[in-house]
Amino acid sequence: MIKKKTLSEIIQELRGNENIINWTEIEPQEAKAKPIPESVDPRIRSALANRGIEQLYTHQYTAYETIRKGENIVAVTPTASGKTMCYNLPVLQAIAEDDSSRALYLFPTKALAQDQKSELNEIISEMGIDIKSFTYDGDTSPAIRTIVRNVGHIVITNPDMLHSAILPHHTKWVSLFSNLKYIVIDELHTYRGVFGSHVANVIRRLKRICHFYGSNPLFICTSATIANPKELAEQLTGSPMRLIDDNGAPRGRKHFVFYNPPIVNKPLNIRKSATVEVNHLARDFLTNKIQTIIFARSRVRVEIILSHIQELVKNEIGTKSIRGYRGGYLPNQRREIEKGLRNGDILGVVSTNALELGVDIGQLQVCIMTGYPGSVASTWQQAGRAGRRHGEALILMVASNTPIDQYIVQNPEYFFDRSPESARINPENLLILVDHVRCAAYELPFKKDEPFGLLEITDILEYLTEERVLTHAGDTFYWANLAFPASEVSLRSAAQENVVIIDQTEAANVKIIGEMDRFSAMTLLHDEAIYLHEGVQHQVEKLDWEHKKAYVRKVDVEYYTDANLAVKLKVLATDRTENKRSSAIHYGDVVVNAMPTLFKKIRLSSFENIGYGPINLPEEELHTSATWIELKEIDPAIETKTQEQLLLGIANVLKHIVPIHVMCDRSDIHVVSQIRAEHTQLPTIFIYDHYPGGIGLAEDVYKRFDEVKEAARKLIRKCPCEDGCPSCIGTEIEGLNVKLMSVQLLSQL
Amino acid sequence: MSSMRDRMNRLRGESTKVDIVAEETNIEFKSLAEPDQAEHPDRLSPGWAAFGVELATNETGSFLRRVTRYPMDYRHGLHALQELYAAAPGLAAFHPSEQSAAEQILFLDLETTGLGVGAGNVPFMVGIGYMSKGHFVIEQTLIRHPAEERAMLMYLAEKLQQFSFLSTYNGKTFDWPLVESRFIMNGLGRKMWEPKHLDFLHPARSIWRNTLVSCKLSHVEEERLGIERVDDVPGSLAPQLYFQYLADGNPAPLEGVFKHNETDMLSLASLAIRFGHLLNGNIEAYIPLPDEPEEMVRTGLWLERMGRKELPSQLFDLFMSIQHSKPSTLVKLAARDKKAGNWGRAVLLWQKAIIHSPTHFGPAAHEASIELAMYYEHKLKNYDSALSYVNTAFEHALHQSSLFRADTKRKAELEALRNRIARLRRKALKTI
Repeated sequence: MIKKKTLSEIIQELRGNENIINWTEIEPQEAKAKPIPESVDPRIRSALANRGIEQLYTHQYTAYETIRKGENIVAVTPTASGKTMCYNLPVLQAIAEDDSSRALYLFPTKALAQDQKSELNEIISEMGIDIKSFTYDGDTSPAIRTIVRNVGHIVITNPDMLHSAILPHHTKWVSLFSNLKYIVIDELHTYRGVFGSHVANVIRRLKRICHFYGSNPLFICTSATIANPKELAEQLTGSPMRLIDDNGAPRGRKHFVFYNPPIVNKPLNIRKSATVEVNHLARDFLTNKIQTIIFARSRVRVEIILSHIQELVKNEIGTKSIRGYRGGYLPNQRREIEKGLRNGDILGVVSTNALELGVDIGQLQVCIMTGYPGSVASTWQQAGRAGRRHGEALILMVASNTPIDQYIVQNPEYFFDRSPESARINPENLLILVDHVRCAAYELPFKKDEPFGLLEITDILEYLTEERVLTHAGDTFYWANLAFPASEVSLRSAAQENVVIIDQTEAANVKIIGEMDRFSAMTLLHDEAIYLHEGVQHQVEKLDWEHKKAYVRKVDVEYYTDANLAVKLKVLATDRTENKRSSAIHYGDVVVNAMPTLFKKIRLSSFENIGYGPINLPEEELHTSATWIELKEIDPAIETKTQEQLLLGIANVLKHIVPIHVMCDRSDIHVVSQIRAEHTQLPTIFIYDHYPGGIGLAEDVYKRFDEVKEAARKLIRKCPCEDGCPSCIGTEIEGLNVKLMSVQLLSQL
Repeated sequence: MSSMRDRMNRLRGESTKVDIVAEETNIEFKSLAEPDQAEHPDRLSPGWAAFGVELATNETGSFLRRVTRYPMDYRHGLHALQELYAAAPGLAAFHPSEQSAAEQILFLDLETTGLGVGAGNVPFMVGIGYMSKGHFVIEQTLIRHPAEERAMLMYLAEKLQQFSFLSTYNGKTFDWPLVESRFIMNGLGRKMWEPKHLDFLHPARSIWRNTLVSCKLSHVEEERLGIERVDDVPGSLAPQLYFQYLADGNPAPLEGVFKHNETDMLSLASLAIRFGHLLNGNIEAYIPLPDEPEEMVRTGLWLERMGRKELPSQLFDLFMSIQHSKPSTLVKLAARDKKAGNWGRAVLLWQKAIIHSPTHFGPAAHEASIELAMYYEHKLKNYDSALSYVNTAFEHALHQSSLFRADTKRKAELEALRNRIARLRRKALKTI
């Protein structure tokens, strides 16, 4: 039997690999520590000593002292730097001092809450103080719920539960709300976009309830590295924050390697598929028993990579030790995978960014990213999965053909020198705001002129009164409706109803295997779509749109499906305009009509198109905010057909550039080009928020368009292709100097 | 149309047709019919007097109240209200070591604006009933708008202190937690009254679960208390009627809600009488013996659970004299007898359960066969008889599993039977 190679040996081998275009070593860092403060209870002190903790890292120390002074904090810490101590220590201390103290912990997911409970209870049992900490979520049994409400010192939950179960029933939680000292918000950076905007409003409601019961809790937030942690924390909590970022945790050596697959088609500048390269790289690590995590951008991509890798290594290691992980898997399945990773039963995992969050999966040695994760912050988060605690670790980013991937790997300084992105929320989005004013009014009546957060909302209260949701008596607006408003508001998705995926392969054992939001379902679960679940292909036999059910059956085919979406745009109102010499940029309200039209069948091995079919689903309508750029003068020498392609090319580049500049998912913001916009008949590029009412992304683009434009120009110019390729403007147009024309056109904008 | 609504409709992608409808209702809405109310809370619009509603005030504010007094000989269905005096002591069985008298019981029923016990569900009407000075008094309070709630609750809080038992139908999970929640919401404190609860939904379910199609109060009273409601406004309509009143200020449609709530209070009293009689052991004297065998057994079992162990024998004897009873009922009593060590009757019941089962099989017969097998095996050491019972059970179970998909429960059941058969065969061999 061949001797297994160690990670160091593989690293040495890789150094000679010609596809590696950048190798950055991140030096180890020594710990910076301070003694445990005098004020800490001796019982806590000895429990910490039992775990070998005699000192605090500097950030933990500062967090503790700042909170003791009565300030809200946001601590920015990389993965595995002992961030939980930043909140556990002050919370446990407060309860040790006064048994009536209460704390509320918010985690973005149930899994993280479960992790935290186990960790917390371990430490509590060692302390020998009777502190009760419980998770409170959908799985908590009714008998336990009463105990949690009445005697739980630390209640660990998620924003959804707070929104739909705790706040609307606050009278059952008197002991918590009357004595609430601390609200812990972990993984702060995940509260952005629509979700963050909802959560900011949930916190406004939470603060209202606390105020009613006479408590005034402090906020303790922790966040991964983002550009604006203080701003985000202040927006989310509506409270002033002290930023703590003096990270004192030690760190092992990290190799951060950019891998660019070789070019296979020189004229078109097409490179070998990143997926294929990742499969082969991963095999090397896995067959040498090196625990590896592979990140992919989409659910579909996860499943494709998973099935390929399982195939590649099936003779050497069991396929059971290589698993997939993504939203849509059922919770117990996920728990099992997390546990397998921790105890080493599972050697490799292919995941979406679902594992970017702090779910405890222990220490992995290698992290491979299939393409640029889309943001600097997200990349560092994924990279943090490798070498959390032990010495050497390897992070491999394998670039795909997309413009932004090529831009990143060819300009490593962009990534390494750039401060990470800002996280944006818009709690004032009218739809979101009105939803939460409804919920808040259900919880407690509103006095006339009572602000919501700092917001004046009389017009909303009056509107809700007209709608007969509220009733107005004296100087107060009261809830007066049969409904339970929290159940009508989901924090997570624009589309409130998910499509349930039902596997009917076995007539005797029809079962639900997952669910998907409505919008994704339009393009991923249409009739005849190939849906992959845990690497197994399923074909959608029927998508029952009315009842939101997709019936699937296991199949074994040589292709996957890819759906097209047709989009129409109409301008409703223009709020802001900036005229330039021969162009103009606007910001305002638009209505978007989207309808999936057809799907293509694409061969798995060669990615060639082998067939197509229609999709018959109703049109979805979206009212949102947009920024659009129109060309008022066009060089008459350029044919309309060419103009159309130029616009398409620029839109293609913007599609990639914009999300990294405003820090959002590629699906949160859409770019569409029109050769003749409906309202002006002028060539126009629209950039719009993919959420009703907008969440501030398009507005950000409006403000920073020059920066975005510059990045787009640079990307096109730096692309090594001859005259247009999928990595930049998309395609080449015969005999024209398209790249130059695109750059010129961009300069005109 | 307000600009806010305009914007909301646009964002939600709603058509303008909706707006027109909304606008029409809006006109109606704006003509609030009690314009005086805000400026003159002490003035009552004349519509209320038509059905006996008066203005009530206390130091906190105003609300409306209707008081109805029923004479003691008033019959509501089968029972006269005065029977409560005789029946009430029996109700102490709900709270052993307590004494209960009719005057100590407060009957309570809410009409609310929503469902569940969330913070936004407001009891717009609180009905209470009690015995006082030779009358059954029903007091119903109503708020003309939510700002009156506090005054109403203050009044209620004071009233409650005079009683020690709270009698409701599903009040343990709904009415009382909601009242407590409203006290908190209105800053009136927690646990201001800690009554001993008499929630009649629980005994009703214990006794009538399988004999009545529903254990809703309106159904129970019709089937078992001889009460017939005429032109009743269903409780589920109450919120809409109240919202309509909030919008147009016209009291008239609320008369039906008062009536409905009043009937509920009377029915609560009737239930108290019925269960009180039962617990007092006055079964034939005041209330009819149950007709249905299932009800006889369930009533008996309930009485035993309530600590009235001496009472059910009459019911059980009556049950035994009935020729045709459901096998499921037979095994239910048999299980009780087994526990009580009354083997003779238990064996008889099990045998009957098998005989009375169609094709001598079904879930009850299955249970009976196994129980009999155990009885023969452990009590009589008669392994052959035991074997024959298990074998029959096994054959039927096997047949059953060939008809339906074998789930894990069925598989485990078959496995247990196989083991039992094997053990009995071994024992049978040894004794030869």
